[in-house]
This record gives sequence, C-alpha cells and structure tokens, in this order.
Amino acid sequence: MTGDGTLKGIEEAIIGGDKERSAQLVEEALAAMDPLTIIQGGMMPAMEKVGNRFSCGEIFLPEMLMASEAWKETMKLLKPKMLAAGESVGKIGTVVIGTVQTDVHEIGKNIVATLLSTAGFEVHDLGVDISASKFIQKAEEVGADIIAASAIMTTTMTYQRDILEHLMASGLRDKYIVLVGGGVVNQKWADEIGADGYGGTAVDGVRIAKELLSRRTGGG
Amino acid sequence: MVSFHEILERATRGPIMSSKDFDMNVFIPKVREVVEKYKIRYDPGTPCPADDDLADRIYQAAFDLYADVGTYVIDTERVIQFSRKEIEDAVYEAPKEAYFGEGPDRCVFKGRRPDDSEIPHCHVGSGTDTTEDVALKMVEAYGKISKAKTVSIPSVTSHGSLKSSAGSPVETLAGISMMRIGREGLRRAGRPGMGIINHMSSCAQGVSTIAASNPDFGARPSDGWLIAPHAELKIDYSSLNQVAYLTSWGANIGQEAGPIMGGYAGGPAGTAVVTTAYCFHGILVARATYHLTYPVHMTYVCSTTPDMLYVVSTSSQAISRNVGVPYYALGYAAAGSGTKQYFYEAGAYLLAIESSGIGIEDVHPNKAVVTNGALPIDSEFTCSLGHGMVGITRKEANRIIRRLMETYEGGIKNPPRGRILNECYDIQTMRPDEELRKTYDEAIRELRGLGIRFK
Repeated sequence: MTGDGTLKGIEEAIIGGDKERSAQLVEEALAAMDPLTIIQGGMMPAMEKVGNRFSCGEIFLPEMLMASEAWKETMKLLKPKMLAAGESVGKIGTVVIGTVQTDVHEIGKNIVATLLSTAGFEVHDLGVDISASKFIQKAEEVGADIIAASAIMTTTMTYQRDILEHLMASGLRDKYIVLVGGGVVNQKWADEIGADGYGGTAVDGVRIAKELLSRRTGGG
Repeated sequence: MVSFHEILERATRGPIMSSKDFDMNVFIPKVREVVEKYKIRYDPGTPCPADDDLADRIYQAAFDLYADVGTYVIDTERVIQFSRKEIEDAVYEAPKEAYFGEGPDRCVFKGRRPDDSEIPHCHVGSGTDTTEDVALKMVEAYGKISKAKTVSIPSVTSHGSLKSSAGSPVETLAGISMMRIGREGLRRAGRPGMGIINHMSSCAQGVSTIAASNPDFGARPSDGWLIAPHAELKIDYSSLNQVAYLTSWGANIGQEAGPIMGGYAGGPAGTAVVTTAYCFHGILVARATYHLTYPVHMTYVCSTTPDMLYVVSTSSQAISRNVGVPYYALGYAAAGSGTKQYFYEAGAYLLAIESSGIGIEDVHPNKAVVTNGALPIDSEFTCSLGHGMVGITRKEANRIIRRLMETYEGGIKNPPRGRILNECYDIQTMRPDEELRKTYDEAIRELRGLGIRFK
C-alpha cells in the first residue's frame, strides 16, 4: 500500500470503528512515516468526518463512540513514539467534564465529551455524580482551560451554581471557562449563575467551547 | 413471573461488568444486530406506519435484545439476566389493566390495539417545573377537565424561599408540598379521588419520594409512582428502593423510559426497538402495572420530528399488539404553549399514539424546560382531540400527520417561545386571555380543515 493509501486506510478504519484494523495500519505506517504525519494525514481527517456526520445526523452515538475507541487505540501506539521524539501531541485545550452531584445521567455528557475529543480537546471525563470540589480539584491537577458541567434535572442544576461559587470562594473563578448544559438548562440559567457559556445541544457545546477558548487565548 | 425477591438476588449475584463494557460490548452491538436481523428500517415518508409485520418484527427484536442484554444495576455493577421463558411468562402474566383513584373518580386504564375504536385513556397535566404560587390552581384546573381520567401534578422545586436540590432535605420538603398541593387541588376541583400518576416529579432521590409518599400528605396506593431507568436499560438502588417500598405497600408502579434517539440506541430503528424493550424491563424489574414512554430526539430534544413520530408509533404498536399492558406516551413539542405551532405539533403526536393503540397525555410545550410553561388549555386540546378522533386508523393518521409536518417542520430548530401561565391566564379565575383563546380557536379551525375532529 502506498503512503497515501495507508493513510486513507487508517482514515476508513477509524470511521468504521475498526480498532484492530486501524492499529495494524498504523503499525505498518510507522515503518515509513512519522507519527505526526499519520495523525494529520489519516486520523484527524477521520475524526473530522465523524464529527461532521454526527452533527448532520448521518451517524449516531454508537458509530461515534466506536470511531473514538479506534482513535484512542491508535493513539496508544503513537504517543510514546512522539514523546520519545520530543514532539508534542497537539491539542487545542483541556476540558474537565462531568455530570453534577446527585445526577447520574451520563449520555448527554458522554456525547459532548466524545465530540470535544474529536474536535482536538484533551478531555478528562470524571463521570457522574461529581461534587463541585472534585471538578475543581481535577481542573487544577490537569491544568484545564474549561470545566464543563452537565445537569439533566431541575433539582440537580443548582449544583452547577455550586461549581461557580466554589471557584469564587477559592479565588479561581477567572482561571477557568465554565460551560453548562443538560436537558433542563437554558441560557437564562447560565446567565443567572454566571456561567461563561451554555450549549443547547452537544454540537453547540463544542462550538462554544472553541469560541470561548479562542477568545481567551487571543485567537479568532 | 420471576419474583421481586429473585430480582434483588440477581442484582447482587448476576454477572459482574463495568458500565462501559455493558454499553460498548453488550448493548450497542446487540441493538445493531437485531435491527439488521429483523430488517427494521425507517421511512421518512411514513412517520406513522400501518404495518403490522413491522410492529411485530420490532417486538421480536426487542425481545431478543432484552433476553441477551438484561438490566444493568449501577450500584452493584452486575447484570440482571432473564431466560426467554422467563420473559415470555412475564409478558403473559403482566397486569393488562391498572386501577387508579378512589370512589367515583376511580378509573381503569386498559391496553388498546392499533386502529382501536375504544376511547384512549386520557391523562392530563404535566410534571413541568411550576412555581408554588400557581401550582394549586394548575392542579385544580386539570381536575376540572371531565374527560381526563388521571392527572400529572406539577413539579414544585422550591419550599418557600429555599430552592430544591436533589438529595437535599429541601427536596424532601418540596416533594411533600407537591403531594399536598396535588391532593388539595383535586379536592377543590371536586374530584378528590382522582388518581395522580406521576409521583414524584419533584424528587430525584428515592428517599425523598418515599418520605413524601406518607399517606398523611395525601398519597394513596391507588395513585401511580414512576420509576425511571438510566440510559439505557440500567437501574440503580435508589429506584429499586422505591420499588421495594411501593410493592410492599401495594401501590401502582409505572415504568417510565425516554430513550434518546441518536444515543446508545442509535437511529430511529434502534430507538424503536429499545423503547419496546423497556416494557420487559418494566414488567420484570420495576414491577410495573402501567408504562410510560417518552423517547426524544438527541439534537432537538423534542419528539415531534418525523423520525421521533416513527419511533413512538412503531414501538407503541409493537407493545399494543403483543403485550397489551396499560401504556401511554408523553411527547415534547419544540414550540411553546399558546402558539399555533404547538397545537400542530401536539396534534401530530397525539394522532400517532392514539392510532397506534395506546393512551394519550398532554404534549409538553417548550420541551418541558420552561417554568410555568404548561397550560390547562393544552389538556383541553388533548382530551378534545383524543375523544374526537376515536377509531382513527394509522393510515388516516399518517396522512394527516404528513400535512401537519409541512406546517411545523421548519419551525423545530428555532421554535416560538409562546407564553407561560402567568402571561396568558387570569390566575384567580384560571381563564385564558382573549389572545390565547383566539389562537386556540384559530388552530382548532385550521386543524379541522386538515381532517382532525374534536369533541
């Protein structure tokens, strides 16, 4: 297979969620090209297509999750080689995401986390039922840019406000972009609690994350 | 049927599995497999199919799915599994009638069939977030709708100046307030025995629900308690605690489930199968005497898009043809109440479920996210259409739905907000203002022109 053919094969394997095939092709490709070329030429176009198809409703969460798993498997092969060569693994920002305290709904949060990954963010998914202090502790630990908190119920959305109040109490409010979302959350609530952004859909959430980060870092 | 004792045993003795493994390696591949095996396809031109064979294939696919997947218990990280024979027995033995309420307000909720000529069970009201100052009036208004057999009471998420948070003591107090308001509102409406079947919308935690269900606050076993799963086919100990309490009390339990179209279930075909499979979970694990479904679109978070109408109509047909339990569906309109778009969306949804052989409930405006966003006029619309369209066939429903969709599909993405209760009702008399009445009358006139009958 030619270099372009291999990259195309990697792209197709990731889109199809075939992690064995994508890993095998990456192993082969490493004999002839550097990791960055593989990522930029085969893997990133794959995830971009997956993200676009998901946004248009052409594919759904299962297909996106399988592609994401294939991406993660191949990255496991590439990361050590990049670090050994002194190359950085490109990312546009770091996000700590979770569902707030007492709320165990995870599907919406999982969709946003996967879309953020495919968009180039480093994502730390804390899971569900996460207290305000745990969000902040993790954000401090990984040097996050964004804290994203999901709440699906009117009785759990108040814990989104807790995150902002904890940040203020610890003098860290300006350090993080705080995004909120979830079934019952709306822009009015986001404004009321002083969140930086609100995403009505998973796709909106990713767009707003990019916009706010770009504004903060002076880009765009 | 497998006993609840045995369910609890399996919850602590079933195969151990991580939640992610359950999703990725069990649930998702199996859904994809049964959709292919039974050749279940979505046709955008047929939001309400009149296809018995399709309905039966969806039922078989759901049966295979549940027999292979079972229910995942979040707290124990184990799977409750069932044999095919156990599921078949459960379907055979499941209650086919549910009794709600007391005295002259008592009613029976029965399973129906597609294209049925029996009046559907008309359930009104909404568990939408409602402020304490108007909640009592809302319930009273719902109770006065004579065609309504059962009611959902508003979710009150405050207690005085305290805002409720899940798991907090305020949630318990708000739940108690909700229960008291619900019973008192129905008493004021002259229907004190009416069954309230959405306990407890105000409470996210089992402990609050159980606390607020003390009969001193107005709760009766002839009401109905909704037990929610987690997406998809998962349950936690908080819910199983409620089941343990409610079965010990002899109360009605409702299995509720709102699979997300585009989520783990995949597209419309997979979501129709998963929605159907929840019925088995409901009978066996949640010990349900009645069933509520509300699948929603992942992007638009409503259920009036053509793919969502397909999901709810086909899964309803699968259940009504093959199980026959008391079953109803809740729709979410994109548009706010008091707008013509709301009535068009609600009309399409109600036609889809009524013709598919299940009970009907008010379509919730504004995706149920606006406080005080539900109006009593929504309930008037539901019952009037439900009675007027008795005997509607799926074929006729599909024809009208397609015409309705032409009017509102363009407005799904950026729907009109409409008005909330405080903006369009006299709260003292609970009468709609002139503008709302005019919009309603115009919508009814236009809907009649499309072939919808009201009674």
